[in-house]
Amino acid sequence: MRTHPRSLARLVGPVLLIGSFFALAACANTPGNTYDPQGDHARRIYELLIPIWWMALGVFVVVQGLLVYAVWRFRRRPGSAAMPAQVHGNTQVEILWTVAPAIIVLVIAVLTFRTQAANAVMPADAMRVTAVGHQWWFEFQYPELGTEGKPIVTASDMYIPVGRPVTVVLEAKDVIHNFWVPKLAGKTYMIPGKTNYLTFTAEQPGIYRAVCAEFCGEAHALMRFRVIAIDAAEFDRWVAQKRVPPPAPSGTLTVNGLTGDAARGQALFLDARKQCISCHAIEGTNARGAIGPNLTYYGSRQTIAAGILPYSPENLGRWLREAPGLKPGNLMSRVLTPQWIRANLSDQEIADLVAYLDSMKVSVALPPER
Amino acid sequence: MAIAERTAGTISPPDIHARPGWAGWLSTTDHKRIGIMYLVSAFIFFLIGGIEALLMRIQLGTPDNTFLTPDVYNQMFTMHGTTMVFLAVMPLNVGLGNYIVPLMIGARDMAFPRLNALSIWLFIIGGLMLYVSFFAGGAPNVGWFAYAPLTQKQFAPSAGVDYWIIGIGLTGVASIAGALNFIVTILNMRAPGMTLSRMPLFVWMQLVVAFILIFAFPVLTVATIQLLFDRHFGTRFFLPAQGGDAVLWQHLFWFFGHPEVYILILPTMGIISEVLPTFSRKPIFGYAFVAYSGVAIGFLGFLVWAHHMFAVGLGPLANAFFGAASFLIAVPTGVKIFNWLATMWQGSLNLTTAMHYAIGFISMFVIGGISGITLASPPINVQQTDSYYVVAHMHYVLFGGAIQGIFAGVFYWFPKMTGRMLDERLGKWQFWLMLISFNLTFFPMHLSGNEGMPRRIYTYEAGMGWELWNLLSTIGSLLLAVAVLLFLWNMLTSLRRGAIAPADPWDGATLEWAVSSPPPSYNFAVVPTVQSRRPLWDRKYPHLHESHDPGEESMERLGAVMHDAAETEPPIPAGAIHMPSPTYAPLILALGIMVLGFGIIYLGDLGLAAAAAMLVGLLVMAGGIVSWVRISHVDSPHHAH
Repeated sequence: MRTHPRSLARLVGPVLLIGSFFALAACANTPGNTYDPQGDHARRIYELLIPIWWMALGVFVVVQGLLVYAVWRFRRRPGSAAMPAQVHGNTQVEILWTVAPAIIVLVIAVLTFRTQAANAVMPADAMRVTAVGHQWWFEFQYPELGTEGKPIVTASDMYIPVGRPVTVVLEAKDVIHNFWVPKLAGKTYMIPGKTNYLTFTAEQPGIYRAVCAEFCGEAHALMRFRVIAIDAAEFDRWVAQKRVPPPAPSGTLTVNGLTGDAARGQALFLDARKQCISCHAIEGTNARGAIGPNLTYYGSRQTIAAGILPYSPENLGRWLREAPGLKPGNLMSRVLTPQWIRANLSDQEIADLVAYLDSMKVSVALPPER
Repeated sequence: MAIAERTAGTISPPDIHARPGWAGWLSTTDHKRIGIMYLVSAFIFFLIGGIEALLMRIQLGTPDNTFLTPDVYNQMFTMHGTTMVFLAVMPLNVGLGNYIVPLMIGARDMAFPRLNALSIWLFIIGGLMLYVSFFAGGAPNVGWFAYAPLTQKQFAPSAGVDYWIIGIGLTGVASIAGALNFIVTILNMRAPGMTLSRMPLFVWMQLVVAFILIFAFPVLTVATIQLLFDRHFGTRFFLPAQGGDAVLWQHLFWFFGHPEVYILILPTMGIISEVLPTFSRKPIFGYAFVAYSGVAIGFLGFLVWAHHMFAVGLGPLANAFFGAASFLIAVPTGVKIFNWLATMWQGSLNLTTAMHYAIGFISMFVIGGISGITLASPPINVQQTDSYYVVAHMHYVLFGGAIQGIFAGVFYWFPKMTGRMLDERLGKWQFWLMLISFNLTFFPMHLSGNEGMPRRIYTYEAGMGWELWNLLSTIGSLLLAVAVLLFLWNMLTSLRRGAIAPADPWDGATLEWAVSSPPPSYNFAVVPTVQSRRPLWDRKYPHLHESHDPGEESMERLGAVMHDAAETEPPIPAGAIHMPSPTYAPLILALGIMVLGFGIIYLGDLGLAAAAAMLVGLLVMAGGIVSWVRISHVDSPHHAH
């Protein structure tokens, strides 16, 4: 296993090729890419990362270069039995390479603390949104924007205005969760019994992917949400609509050949025997369940069941039929077992419920996915 | 020069102290046999932990895969982490230390041979109890870090968490007892003339680790017992809904957990500091810097625990302190790397398999160290923590570092332990396959992490840009398994057909190479007298002796004056050397503790039946203790010291 200089030189090409492939791939505009920041918090982190990345690359090249050179240069050649000089050390050299890393980390520390201070600022005029982590979905409350002391409450889609700082007040209902919108801001834990704060400003309108990043039990992988950043005027329009309860449902919706009736669907939803209102609330109705997500204006959700299915009436029907299989462990599946559904929810009733939930819509011009 | 008679080429004397067959192993108090039992059982756990990793990689190979259910996946990553930390890497290091440290310091055994036997049995039983959980309602599924309050009974009702508490508890007792044993052995049983400044660096690192261990492990033990009480006896230490504190668990866990990283890596740094000089035919460059940087790392390791908690919301001031302390660790780590490079510089590098692994260690550990810098910076950390970037970083440190270091140690000392050489050609194939597949497995995780892939997810959706990285990781992990199988094959065939190992196959410098391979049960017929850091080397190459480091000389004069008399002492006949008798007492005591443990797990649920089991356990323990005391009594009158 001897390494020749020529074979080393031949390695340079492939190594550069592979390296640039990884570098390009890492910069691709994928939905959760922290190297593509779209918010001030994430951007400051990215801008701190770049100089550190170059320093790290320098250290990497120097140390690996010395290592490879030493192996090649000082390898024992056949027939050479010469004993190397028995050098025990050199204090000056050692002080030098004790001080050198110390200087590098000092520089990194200074840069770090500047960024840290900037990212800890919580402006007084920031809009407050309370985010609550549940097993396994995110609830969002807008205490400053509701009516009569009641906040606007929604789940899984967090609407924010572009260009205005938002302070997210982070809480958890059951176990620890972790609020992460990679393109907008770094993570902050949501801890039961403790309140955390995270401030960031979205710089671009867009729909941003977000997840729970702390292991929180069986369906942790299926606990996702979206941050929907829209310009201020559009955000005000969203708020104005969310402040009033949905109008009385009317109309029908045909899904997979079955026509559901929205008004009938509302009656079913409010029927205690169907169990919906034990957990769910809808503004303007008697549904006041506080265990599951608030379903007011559900027809405007981007996803179903905390980001696991794109929103569509078809998928909503599928969710009502197959909740246990789609999201193992979730609370709804403990009530809506296959046997219970067979006994208590006909396909027509599901179509009616879908028609009702789909009928409640907020009109907002949606930004592109980023 | 007064080291032991070299017994190269001679057959080792019959082991007069051991019982034959299985009984010999079950009743042994010989540090070498105990070391081998540690290595074999830890290697089996390493294989099991590896299988768990493979199952996870298969599940994550493609998006929306359904190979494992979420609950099974969660059990897999919990058991993989727990197994690799507590049942594989730690005991592999302990096994090497158990075998080699007494030989390196010229001792005939550990200071407390029976306590040593208790440690191995508690370790094996603790590991088995963790795995019993699979058959008792499901393995723990809360992560090896077991964050509160997810571990509370309402969120994790299965007994898996209880088995985790007891299993970890038993291995913890084993570790603490082992650490005390190492400290007393290293401080009190060094051969005449072996001052601390002449001690081999592997011994130094084992000593540092033993001290870390006795400060770090009790914290984990206390936290897990609090958790046990929360789950069964109505306390609320970690239950916020009833006034407890979920973050308290994290402080306790990481106050143990970060020093634990150094418990895993420092012994392997000690191995590298032995292997590199031997195969460079040079002394270690800057012995004192290498030794003290290990001490510094051990000390700083206690000041950085909250860098695992930067996203917890401890506040900017606390984060800044823990960030700065974490940066500081780069300094002693950098010192070690540069000293290793300088050791190789102008050496005559004999590129054996062990040397390949030592060089691979440096190369991969540097990558893990560099990726750790951004994790130490609180603002960057909050993007990277809990993402696959951390998985990448941590495996560069613990696989690219610790595991490769252990392989270096195994290829280096296997001839000493077994009397057979491992196949070098196969070993080098294994090294290259492992290096390539390791990087294929873990390098892409940096990228998937930075592209937003969180840890501990059993599945992910297509279109996030993570597909390619995960597929590469999965392919890499399968090749990595092949590399491990190559080693298994190499080991099994070499044990039977490998070349016979001479006493000193590598032209070593330290005392373990002065005795036969494998060494006799009493190690040294004559306890050697040591006059330098490289006692065997100086005996073989006396003409090179004058080029000594002046700092060492002044320290050595004292020891040399005191122990010159030993040179003229005639060899003692083998039978006359007093060694501790074999005994089943430690095994009986450990079995009693096991029964007690089962009782504790079910005390909350079964009440009286479990209490009865606990009583039985206590009685067995009492039996073990009585026979322990009797054998100590029988042994003591013949004590040779």
